[in-house]
Amino acid sequence: MSTTQASHSLAFRVMRLCRPTLHVDTPLLVDPSDLLVGEDIFDDPLAASQLPRLLSGPGIKPPEDAADLGYRTRFLLHDATDSMGLSGLLLLPQAFGAIYLGETFCSYISINNSSNFEVRDIIIKAEIQTERQRILLLDTSKSSVESIRAGGRYDFIVEHDVKELGAHTLVCTALYNDGDGERKYLPQFFKFIVANPLSVKTKVRVVKDTTFLEACIENHTKTNLYMDQVEFEPAQNWSATKLKADEHHSEMNSAARETFKPPVLIRSGGGIQNYLYQLKSSSQGPEHVKVEGSNVLGKLQITWRTNLGEPGRLQTQQILGAAITRKEIDLQVAEIPATIIFGRSFSALPKVEAFGSSDFHLKLVATKLGVQRITGISVFDYRERKTYDPLPDMEIFVDLE
Amino acid sequence: MSSFNFQVSRSRSLNLLRHPHHHLTYLSFNVLALSKLRRFADASAELESLQDLDSPEYRYESYPKIYPDRSGSMVPFFLRWLHCIVPLRLEQRREGLDRLYRLVDLVREKLKEREANSREESLNVWKRRELFVMNTIIGDHLSHKEFSVCLDLIKDLLSRDCSGLDAVLLSKLGYIQLQVGDLEGAKGAFSRVEGISSEGNSVELKNLVNRNKALIYLVGKDYVSAVREYEVCIERDHMDFVAINNKAICLMYLRDLSDSIKVLENSLERVPMVALNETLVVNLCSMYELAYVNHSEIKKTLSNWIARVAPDDFDSSCTRI
Repeated sequence: MSTTQASHSLAFRVMRLCRPTLHVDTPLLVDPSDLLVGEDIFDDPLAASQLPRLLSGPGIKPPEDAADLGYRTRFLLHDATDSMGLSGLLLLPQAFGAIYLGETFCSYISINNSSNFEVRDIIIKAEIQTERQRILLLDTSKSSVESIRAGGRYDFIVEHDVKELGAHTLVCTALYNDGDGERKYLPQFFKFIVANPLSVKTKVRVVKDTTFLEACIENHTKTNLYMDQVEFEPAQNWSATKLKADEHHSEMNSAARETFKPPVLIRSGGGIQNYLYQLKSSSQGPEHVKVEGSNVLGKLQITWRTNLGEPGRLQTQQILGAAITRKEIDLQVAEIPATIIFGRSFSALPKVEAFGSSDFHLKLVATKLGVQRITGISVFDYRERKTYDPLPDMEIFVDLE
Repeated sequence: MSSFNFQVSRSRSLNLLRHPHHHLTYLSFNVLALSKLRRFADASAELESLQDLDSPEYRYESYPKIYPDRSGSMVPFFLRWLHCIVPLRLEQRREGLDRLYRLVDLVREKLKEREANSREESLNVWKRRELFVMNTIIGDHLSHKEFSVCLDLIKDLLSRDCSGLDAVLLSKLGYIQLQVGDLEGAKGAFSRVEGISSEGNSVELKNLVNRNKALIYLVGKDYVSAVREYEVCIERDHMDFVAINNKAICLMYLRDLSDSIKVLENSLERVPMVALNETLVVNLCSMYELAYVNHSEIKKTLSNWIARVAPDDFDSSCTRI
């Protein structure tokens, strides 16, 4: 926190209000029957019947009213699960911590009047300054705070969705009349840096007429990230399905399914999680004209949660598929007869109209037995003297009659 | 605590302890006292003076004249547990965890033996000890943020419990799920807690349900409803210090710093024997630091009061003076 040169009656106090944490303790709590007697004593039927009564007298139970001034709860084990140290006590954030793109910056701001005089007509402003812009969070100029008494304070909470990386400054200013009637101006600056929480690497593969998108998310933060939603939003001509791996063994037990679904947690500082999407172009068939040039597939929407549900949200850039060049002539094998006999011809070429398609029979004679490869069939345009891409190689099996 | 410590050492050195099991009991008290005072190196030295806890020296049948017709181990179970914990506190995590997992094996062996012989009281005691040790292990993983392990271990514990679901353990599962960000999982766990028989519910169980509800409200940023739930708890049990502390936190998120401070200060005044808790004091000091430019004065006042009133084992570094 920066301090100002002139003496001011007012001062800003700021505390980042991310969510509180559920505090984890390391308690030293003991059950009397584990300390006062040998561990096997309850095997003795006499001990088993008498000891429990003796070990749960009034001095041992938790205090029932305020008049009981003992600190027994600091060492007596009340429930066996108390040794976990998770009592449900909340702890306020103890440090500013790291702040990441996609999170919400929330802060408690308190203006204190530490002088002995009342301060009047206070105009308070809070804004976030980044390299690119100034965002106003609070401005009381329309209805200035009338006064803050000596020793009093005026509090407010501000929130800002962090959408830029790098240096940010929370600028708090107060314009006020101090005890002497002098109009004073107090600026205070609180700096913080916004870092990138994730990196997303994508790979696009085309298998036949299905496009697969593989996304790998890496966690660069200092805490584990609970992946709430990772959804692919396809572009206009596409539809997407998320492909899931086999179910985790704990999901197999259907009774446990509700509570026991294992959360998708990406480990802090470099952990990764992979996602796979199957994309289909929504308009199929020969009528479709493929757009030449780059192919926009869509983008990933990622929502995560950290401590006590603190949310974060990011979107990737547009993800591009493989470039599709428009073929002028597309040659495809419609059918190969099931059996191909040696020496017998097995099937010539009609005219193909512009933007049309045509089936034709091509007669070939096999001259060798066994597995043979047909290569080099291509289309030659007489007028333009141009050979188009050949048909992909085909394998056939040639048999004797 | 410190004076107690002194007395134990004196009586041991003067050989005032007559029976072998006295020696073990007093040593256990000593190690516990030293640990409470955070003197773990000294506690470790005490433990070093012991033989292997499974040696015949610590069994009744080795002293037939002193303990006629008695057999079994005279080691207080808590001593075994301390033997695991002390290395953990001395940053020897691997050793501590190994010992804890071995202790679980020992407890499970004892359980098997007693299941065969159907000694019910003894069986119950060992079941509680199993839960106690397993929860210690979960706690250690939790403090190292190894959440997936914690979740697996708790789920395993819950799946074994055939006599009825443990509301407290289920709630703790919910807390870990909340901590991690799995809100749906936590809501599921809490509704299962509510579903556990509501006939003749103790005040404790009722408050647990309300506190769980409050956490869900808090996570949804509905702090007003959370405060209401905590007030129901405090009305029922004015010593529910978790509800008191958490209510103060919610008031702060409602921009009411002054009232949040009042709630905590009041609790220290009215019910110090439960409210005098390091976490609560840390929260109060954080609030002081926000509320006052010159907060060192008010923290000093608090610190002086604590020094007069608190027990020896209170960690006063929590005031951050």
